[in-house]
This record gives sequence, C-alpha cells and structure tokens, in this order.
Amino acid sequence: MIEPLKGREQTMGTLILRRFFKHKLAGVAIAVMLVLIASSLLADLNPFSPTDQNPTNKLRDPNTAHWMGTDELGRDLLSRIMHGGRVSLAVGLFSTVLSILLGIAVGALSGFFGGWTDSILMRITDAFLTFPSIFVLIILGAFLREQQLFVLQNSIFVVIVIIAALSWMWPARLVRGLFLVLREKEFVSASKALGGNSFRLIVRHILPNCAGPILVSGTLQMASAIITESGLSYLGFGVQPPTPTWGSILSTAQNQIFTAPWLGFFPGLMIFITVMAINYIGDGLRDAFDPYVIHTE
Amino acid sequence: MKLKLFTLFVLLGLVLSACGGSGGEPASGGEGGGTVVLILPEEPTTLNFYLADAAIVRQVADSTSMTGLVTIDETGNFIPVLAEGLPTISDDYLTVTWKLMADLKWSDGEAITSDDVRFTIEVLSNPDSGALVGTSGFDLIANVETPDNLTTVITYSEPYPGYLDQFAYGLFPRHATGAPEEMANWEWNRAPVSAGPFIVSNWESGKSITLTRNPNYYEEGKPYLDEVVFEIVPEPSAQTAMMLNGEGHFHLWPGEFKADYDELLKGKAQQYLIPGIWNMAIDFNLSAPFDGDPTASAPHPILGDIRVRQAIAHAINYGGLQQDVLQGSVGDSTNPFAYGWYKCDLPRKHGFDVEAANKLLDEAGWVMGDDGIRVAKGAMYVEDGTRLSLELQGYTAFDPLQLTEEYIVENLKAVGIEARIQNYDFSIIFGTFEDNSPRAVGDFDMLIFDRGFTTEPQGYNFDAYHSSRITTAENPTGGNYFRWVNENVDAALETAGSSFDLETRKAAYCEVGQAVLDELPQVYLYLFQDNYGIADNLEGYTLNTWGSMSWGIQDWKFK
Amino acid sequence: MATYALRRVLQTIPILFVISVLLFLMVRAAPGGPLTAARRNPNISKEQIEAIEEKLGLNDPLPVQYGRWLGSMLRGDMGDSIKFRRPVSEMIGERIPNTLTLVGAAFFVTLLLAIPIGILSARKPYSPFDYTMTTITFIGQAIPVYWLGLGLIVVFYVALKNPFTGDPLFPVGGMNSRGQEGNPLDTLWHLVLPVTALSLGWIAWYSRFLRSSMLDVLHEDYIRTAKAKGLAERWVHYKHALQNAILPLVTLIALDLPSLFAGALFVETIFSWPGMGRLFWDAAKGRDYPVLLGVVMITAVLIIFCNILADLVYGWLDPRVKYD
Repeated sequence: MIEPLKGREQTMGTLILRRFFKHKLAGVAIAVMLVLIASSLLADLNPFSPTDQNPTNKLRDPNTAHWMGTDELGRDLLSRIMHGGRVSLAVGLFSTVLSILLGIAVGALSGFFGGWTDSILMRITDAFLTFPSIFVLIILGAFLREQQLFVLQNSIFVVIVIIAALSWMWPARLVRGLFLVLREKEFVSASKALGGNSFRLIVRHILPNCAGPILVSGTLQMASAIITESGLSYLGFGVQPPTPTWGSILSTAQNQIFTAPWLGFFPGLMIFITVMAINYIGDGLRDAFDPYVIHTE
Repeated sequence: MKLKLFTLFVLLGLVLSACGGSGGEPASGGEGGGTVVLILPEEPTTLNFYLADAAIVRQVADSTSMTGLVTIDETGNFIPVLAEGLPTISDDYLTVTWKLMADLKWSDGEAITSDDVRFTIEVLSNPDSGALVGTSGFDLIANVETPDNLTTVITYSEPYPGYLDQFAYGLFPRHATGAPEEMANWEWNRAPVSAGPFIVSNWESGKSITLTRNPNYYEEGKPYLDEVVFEIVPEPSAQTAMMLNGEGHFHLWPGEFKADYDELLKGKAQQYLIPGIWNMAIDFNLSAPFDGDPTASAPHPILGDIRVRQAIAHAINYGGLQQDVLQGSVGDSTNPFAYGWYKCDLPRKHGFDVEAANKLLDEAGWVMGDDGIRVAKGAMYVEDGTRLSLELQGYTAFDPLQLTEEYIVENLKAVGIEARIQNYDFSIIFGTFEDNSPRAVGDFDMLIFDRGFTTEPQGYNFDAYHSSRITTAENPTGGNYFRWVNENVDAALETAGSSFDLETRKAAYCEVGQAVLDELPQVYLYLFQDNYGIADNLEGYTLNTWGSMSWGIQDWKFK
Repeated sequence: MATYALRRVLQTIPILFVISVLLFLMVRAAPGGPLTAARRNPNISKEQIEAIEEKLGLNDPLPVQYGRWLGSMLRGDMGDSIKFRRPVSEMIGERIPNTLTLVGAAFFVTLLLAIPIGILSARKPYSPFDYTMTTITFIGQAIPVYWLGLGLIVVFYVALKNPFTGDPLFPVGGMNSRGQEGNPLDTLWHLVLPVTALSLGWIAWYSRFLRSSMLDVLHEDYIRTAKAKGLAERWVHYKHALQNAILPLVTLIALDLPSLFAGALFVETIFSWPGMGRLFWDAAKGRDYPVLLGVVMITAVLIIFCNILADLVYGWLDPRVKYD
C-alpha cells in the first residue's frame, strides 16, 4: 500500500519540475537569477574595491579596465554594482515575500470569513493606506535613533520589515477581492458542506486559484522595493554611504544624466533584469502548480 | 513593433508642436526689449523680503519690491537708490537725515514720499508685524520726523552702526498695503506695488511668476527688458535641459560643476561663480556622547585627546577635495571668518600630511590593527583594545555633502581611522534640544555641515564659541555644540561685542579664528560659492554676493 | 446591498475621526517644524523664531491644537498655510484641475492600452506579442519613474527637434507654453511626456493582472464547457473570461483612483507640473502643517470612499459576492 503512494508522489514532484522547465524562459530566468546572486556574493573577486577612490579618474565612460565606467569619486562602477546587488537583491526578494505573505494573511482571513473579521481587518488596511509613508519613515528613523538602536537602524532586516510594512495593503486588498468570489464557488461550498477545516480549505483549495495575481503583484512590487530602499537611506536610516546599493547608485546618478548617463543606466538595467527574471520564474511556477494544466496534459 | 511605436510618438510630437505654441521664443534683437526666463528650483513663498525664511524669496523680490533708499553693490559698499545720496548723520551718531529723489512714483502712479519711509519704520518696529528678517535696529529708532515730502529725519536712542543697512531692502507704500500688525497677510506680499524695475503681472502657483516693466520706474529708459519670467523647475536636469534648448537664460544654482556645464552648454551658456557665505566644516564633540550629559564635563573618549583631532586635520586632503572631487566649485577656507569685513586670512595649521597624522596617532597611543584600523594601546581616555572608530553625521539629500563625506572616510581610513557615515534628515540634524537633535543633546562624534553668517557676525559667533552658550537642558538654544571651553575665546568674543571700532572687532574675531585652528573644535574644509548659469546672449548683469540673481535686473539686455 | 452601503458610510464617521487623530499626531510627531529652515538662516534670530512660533500657536498643548484644527475643519475651513500665508483651500483649489488633467489623462491612456494588451496576451500566452508586451511593460515598471522621465526629456526635448521649426519635439515645462494658456492642443502637447512616464508603470500593473487572472479563469470548467458547446472562441474570451477577471481590476482602480487627487510627485517634479504631489511634498519638507493636514485628510477620505465603492462594485459585477 505504501510503495505505490510514494512512487506517485515522486512522479508528482518530477512532473512539477518538468512542467516548470517546460516553460523555457523560466529555466533561463533561474539561470540569470543564479548568476546575479553569485556575482553579488562573489563581488570581492572583482579586482576593484567598491570604495577605493580615484577622483582624478572620475566619471570615465565604460572602458576595458572599468567595464561600466567610474562614478563621481572615480570608483569602479562594476564593482559597486556587484556589491550593491547584495543589499538590493536581499531587500527586493525578502521584503516582497514578507509583504505578500502579510497581504495574503490579511486578505485571505478577511475575504474568507467576511463579517466583522472583514470589517476590522479592512478598516485597518484603509488606515494604513491613508498614512503618508514619508511621515511614517521620518518618525521611524527618529524613533530608532532616539532609542539608540544603532544596530537596528542600519540593518537590512529593518529595511526589509519596513518596506513590507508599507506595502502589504495592495496584495491584501487584491487577495480579499479574489477570495470574495472564490468562497462562493461550488468547490468551496462542497468542501464546507463536508465539514472541511477552514485553514486547510484556504491554503489547499482557494489560495492556489489566486496564484496568478499574487505572483504578478510580487513581481511588480520587487522593482519598487529595490528603489524604495535607497529612499530609506535618504531619510536617515537603512544602508548608509559609502556602502553601495542599486537604488542609491541610481539616485546619486540623477544629476549626471547629461555628463555620465551610464551611471544610471547600469543599475537601472540590473533592476530590470532582476524583475524580468522573477516574472518568468513566477510564470513557470504558476504553470508548474496549475492543476488544470496538469489535467489537460 | 518598438520602432513603430517610436515613429508614432515622433509624429505625434510633430503634429502637436505645430498646433501648440512654441516655447521660449528667442529674444527680439536690437536695443532693449525681449523676455528673459530665470530658472528657480523652488517657489518663493512671498515677495515680501521681511517675511522671507529662505534665500529663494530674494531671487525674485530683488526685481520688484526690494528697491529701497540704498543698496549694497558688488564691492560691498552702500550706494543710494531712491535716496538722493547717502544720508547725513549728526556728530553724535544719533540723528540721520534721508532725502528722497524728487518726483519718484510707485508702480501704481502714486508719489513716493517721506511718509512711506515713516510707514516702513512703523511696520518694521512693530513687534507684531511677523517680520522674520531685516528688523534689527528699528527698535532703536526713537523718533521720526518728515518736515517735507522728501525729507525724513530719524533719531536713534543710541548710536546704531547699521543705519544704512536698515533701508537697503525696500520700502512699503502706505496706501497699498495694510495695517502693520497684519503684514503677514497683506495682499501686497504677492503683488507688490513697488518702486522696482518690474511688477508682478501673473503668479501661477507652482509654475511661474511673470513680471512686466514698471512704467513709473525712476531710471530713465530702464528697465531694458519687456518681461521677466521666473519659471519654477524643481528637477535639476530639466533646468539644464531648458538652458540647452535656449528656453532659460539665467539658471540659479546649477547642479553640474562649472567645467561640465560649460562643456555641455558650449556656445549657449556658461556658469559663473561668486563667493558665497556657506562654510563647510567638521565639528568635533569634545564631550562624551551618549552619557546623558550634554555639558562639557567628561571628555570625549577618543576626540578628547587633541592629538587625535590634529591627526584628523592632517589626514584630510583639502586640495584633492576642493579641486578633484568638487572640481574647484568651492574656495579654500580655514576658519569661520572666511569673507566680509571680518575676514581673517589665517594659514591652515594642520594641513594635509599623512606622515604627521600617523605620528600623532602613534604618540597618542593608537596602534595599527590587523584590519588597517587602529586600536588603543595606552590611549588617554579609553581602555586598550578600543577601535579608533567614529561616527560622521551629516544631513541627507545634498550631493556635495555626501561626496565630501565619502572622500573624507577614505582619507581617514588611510591613517587607520574608521569613520562611519550616518546621515539624517535635515529636520533631525538641525532640530532643537526638545526634538532630541543629536547636535543639541551632544550625541555625536563628528558632525559635518555648512554654516554661514552675514555682515554682522557677533550674534552667530558668540552663540557658537562662547562657553556660556554650551547647549544643555538649562540652555537649550545654545549653539556651542562642540562643548568648547576656552577663556581667551570668551574674552575675545566679549571684546568684539562691546566695541564699535571695526579694526578692534576684526582683531578679536581673528583671535577666535586662530584658537579654532590651534585647538581644533572643528576643521574647516571649504567655502561654497554661489553659482549661476547665464545664457551667452544676455548682458548687463552684475553678480553680487550681497544681492541675489535678479539684483540689478534693470540693466539686463539681450545682445 | 443598500443597507450594506448605508452601514459602510456610517462606519466611516468614527473611522475618519480616528484617522484624523492619527494623521494629526503623525504629522506633528515628525521631528522639525515649519521654522526648521528659518533656524539655519543667519539673518533670523532665535528670539524672532520663538515669537513667531508663539504667534502661530505651535507651542500650545497638542490636544488644544488638534481641537482647534478639527473645529475649523468641521466648519469647512482648512486654515492658512504657514509658509505662503494663503488659505489652504485656495492653494489646493489651484492644483486640483492640473492634477486631474495629468493623472486623469494617464489613467485614461492606461485603461485604453492595458485592457486590450492584457486580453490579447492572455488569449495567446507566450506568443511573440505576449513577450514583446511583457518586455515593454516591464521596462515601464522596472525603470524608476524618475529615470524614465529624465530619459524622455533627453530624447524628446533635447535630442530630437521638429525639423521644420527647430522647436523641441515635446516640451518639459508645465502645462502650457507662455501665451498659450487655454489652448487645449497646446496642453495636449505638454501632456504627452508626463503621461507616458506615468502610465507606463501603470500599464504594467493593469495588463499583467488582467492577463494573469484571465489565464486562471480560462482554465475553469465553464469556459471549457462553453468551448465544448461550440460557441465562438472569441465570444468566450471576451465575455466570460473578462467578466471574471475584472474583479482584481476593480481593486486596482480603487487603489489608484485617489491619486487623481493626490497627484504623482515624481512626474510632477520632473516635468515642472504644478500638481498636488508637489504641493504635498513641499508642505511635507517645510512642515507646513495646515497644508499637509488638508491634503492628507482629503486623500484619506478619498481612499476610504473608493474602497467602499469598490466593494459595492464587486457585488454589482458578481452577484455571488455576498457581504454578511
């Protein structure tokens, strides 16, 4: 009895994997992401340091020595981009995941149970939507400073939590909207009638049906998370100079659009590549887990 | 597909640009006329100089409401404007007699009389007027008499050296303003009836302020231009783009360095630099931070040793910072008194000298660690093994400051000092004691920011350097953030404050400047310059440190 | 439905009260104040600053200040700007038409393009059309609006010129050329670049959501039933799939609609567009409390109102959605 079941599960796993890689771009995207992650982890292999300056050699066009040129203090841009990937990728990925998870939790509870649960959770969401984020950030920065939480003040962990705390409302409202419709569908009613456990019902039956919009929302939030990160350091916490991040390289390059356009081009390109890769990985995942696609195959 | 989209876009542009009007039409040639476009990064809140909390107000107000009895020219001297000449002053320095030129008219055609001078005094001496600037000395005016329409006789209760400066920023017309205590809400503030070369014809909030020629301007044949438009363009690159397209003629504070700007705008515009008043320095905290005690009592564990401060001063490559990093956009500055009548030319005592810095740190008991950062071994105030690591605080969103910080971090690293940049929002760095601002409560190691003062330096410097002005709970508004105590400096500041003789005062200030160089409560890095981008086809302008971009705009014309 | 709507509207009253307290505290708890910049001005003495603070009532206890503000708000008076000394209502009134023009046009363009792109992409997923649209919309989303705007300026304002007149292909400054105020074609010309910068990012959101939720729906049973019945494939796509995919779209619109009032800071800044985003940002930087509170309160009301509207639209679009 046990043997065949196990065998079946293995087939399921390989089936999912096979379906994932059937989406050709998903495979490419995985490779691209791995390269990005590896290049930021192995950034120290770059012969140029991200902080060594040479002001007499500043704002050079990309050339054979400096593949992406140099910045306004003569630092190698490639090295700064590689090192910057550490913070930017971590913030982009983890804050998005956290924000989506929070959003799903609130949206799912709200949409599934309705009634007072819905009212209370959605009024809290509304309140969060009305808070001007600039003030939330200024106050948080001041608060962390006054508590002398210096360790926390500049930690990437705090940056991730804050970005998630400012962005979970969008996925929450989306998921709730989807749940409002899905909970009335036949398969849910049937499950309910059979006395199915709510949590199981949400996670196993309804949630997979919202996977598409949730993945899209995650992909699109990632780009803004990477950029928001640099905004935090402008408000006094988060990553401080001279530690590079893609967002901070981008924002300091703003005034150089005529004199050194590549300074903004390269970090922008990196964000674009990351977001594209995540998008195709998301597509692949969707296909891989979509029960209907498996049926039709 | 993408190409098609692009083509469609270009075609759309062609069609619409034909239908819509063209932007900045080139100025009409020949003698006089034309519209000049001045680019401002932000909108002035008012055109009433006396209500101005920011320098941007004067940039516009100088072309309309700020024509007064006298003005300060580019050499720093007072010259008469609406006054017939400089006023006469009695031997006891108590009575000043002003005479207006004959037949002067406000822009609405009413005559400018001595009663308007009297009204201006009434407003500015009223403590409820809400005026923020330009009111000093008006409380010393004991009596005003206007024997005729052109003469004003002002009697002071005590001699006041600033009696000319008081009347250099414009007069108020009694008939077109309102009650003095209502000044903040006068309609005049946004559409002043003035004696200046131009008058406001349209103010489109957030977009532009348009001024047209004042028909009653006192100088014959002036102003030359027909129209002046101040465009509010917040994005620096968009400002430069407007200059590139010839749609702007006078660009306030361009973001690009002069060399880059001139190269980019070759044949169209150039950047001009004039000495400014903002002096960049690193302040050291001489007292222990984060001990809950903002007074000078306990010394700073690292910076309390003067040899460390000297080593920091030696480690900074001032020439590299000013010339390579900031491309000569700044001037050298060694001490607080870097401009004005009180300027002290003191040589840098602890110049760039890595060897000297290393030697001082070795002597002070800081030995080089494995990671290139020194550790204490017999240092004055700390346990052995402490890393030579300091926080460098600054404020955010100001590019030259961040470049300076990053450069200095590298300079300090070269001698084994770790500096950690920690920037805060403007509101935190310049906050008050009640706000728990790190500067006020003494929770910092090194603080980098720019500071400046005007023709009268006593208030600022007494506040910054006198030991009685150390910021504490009892004295929350004090400005001695270094927690510096020096008896000679206290005495010199008191001398400077009690004397009327400029030479004596200057000598006293230079004594303070020298003490700053000797004891290093701060290290001066450079002096900012004001920069303007000016179109090549404009002429007749004067760049004036004591004025603003539109100072002397009545003389501007197109080539 | 009607009782639900009524209940929601009644609910907003206490909620708005709580939010007004929170927003007031938030704005006032931020470090600094309207006179922070003045403190740095060498021409202004500390005594003068204190006198002005006293005059403006900034030193009164916060509950007193809140009471004063709420009282005048309830009477419809938003007070005077501390910086500009003008009525806040007048300042907001000047900016609303500009913001509506810009954001409204961008919204219109977004919906006009995103809906067909989303539908077509979903109809033939992973087709060349789908890939091209994915790439273009992602460029719009991944490039920060700031850079997109600057790029547009460099290309269409600086580099490309109208070969006949030598004028730039598109302008950058504000809503109208000088002397062309009130010319709708001139405004349209000024709108092209900012609307492009603003809507590219939005198009990404809308078209991707539409595509993805349509793909989900297309797998569902009744669509396959409909196909099996031999209905024209086209009809299936446009009717059933779209109707089911429209819910996330309504959510998105409800979340974005308040920006018709709140404006779009970055685009307004780059293109010197005098809209609400810049008014808010300038007020935030200068801590111009009356302006700030006026803008955030109106925005809050709009956000809450739009969310109620969205919930009602859900029920209307899909009768299965029930509210207990």
